[in-house]
Amino acid sequence: MVERIEDLNLPNAVITRLIKDALPDGASVSKEARASIARAASVFAIFVTSTSTALAHKQNHKTITAKDILETLSKLDFESFIPSLSQDLEAYRKMVKDKKESKASKKDANMPSNAEDATTIKATNNESANE
Amino acid sequence: MSDPKAKRDPSTETFLPLSRVRTIMKSSLDTGLITNEVLFMVTKCTELFVQHLAREAYKSYCSPSKQSASGGSSSDTLKYEHLSRLVNKSKNLEFLLQIVPDKIRVHEFQEMLRLNRNAVSGDEDDDDDDEDDDDEDDDESGSSSEAAE
Repeated sequence: MVERIEDLNLPNAVITRLIKDALPDGASVSKEARASIARAASVFAIFVTSTSTALAHKQNHKTITAKDILETLSKLDFESFIPSLSQDLEAYRKMVKDKKESKASKKDANMPSNAEDATTIKATNNESANE
Repeated sequence: MSDPKAKRDPSTETFLPLSRVRTIMKSSLDTGLITNEVLFMVTKCTELFVQHLAREAYKSYCSPSKQSASGGSSSDTLKYEHLSRLVNKSKNLEFLLQIVPDKIRVHEFQEMLRLNRNAVSGDEDDDDDDEDDDDEDDDESGSSSEAAE
């Protein structure tokens, strides 16, 4: 479990960067505001997790699924996150699949050329996804 | 303002450290197994949340065009009060009311305490007939409400 409360803090540098990316050039953030956003982010992660867990339990599932998270976001009135998050999820699933495939092809033929095979598979996958 | 969101390419990279997000998720009671996919999603949507919070607070209270209307200072620095105002206003940020509370001055707080006390003792005056022992009002109301429960 969590030993120290600081273990729940998110790294300052990353938070600063995310905020800077969201604001127009030349805008700055006070230290206090940044600390509050960081704290709010931790709370948000816990909030989403516990709401999703409750949702999963209600459907007699023990573990949270991606679907639970998306449903939770709409339930909590953060629908605006769903399009980008769904896209990210798609990209993530593809990446995992590609990894698996490249591993499988490595097992298939233990030759130096198999790495090349993996990249070609990846490339064709990328193309089909882009269409 | 929705443009950057729409333009944003889907990405499998996360900025926030996954291990830390996992720790945070585990601190929530009853969390079962956390799959990598779910961990990725929570990390991503936390990132989106950070940007949403900053963007909205800045847009609503801090951007130079709004300064003249609200009469605030003319810097474009996102400050704590912008955040607390947004949290106070937004329904979906209600869960942050305790995390990002409105800041108040000491004398405002004392005023609130005083009003609160007056209101409480006023209620008691209505409820209780014994107005002679004012000193014990607080104790009595405490014990009587406990007894009622």
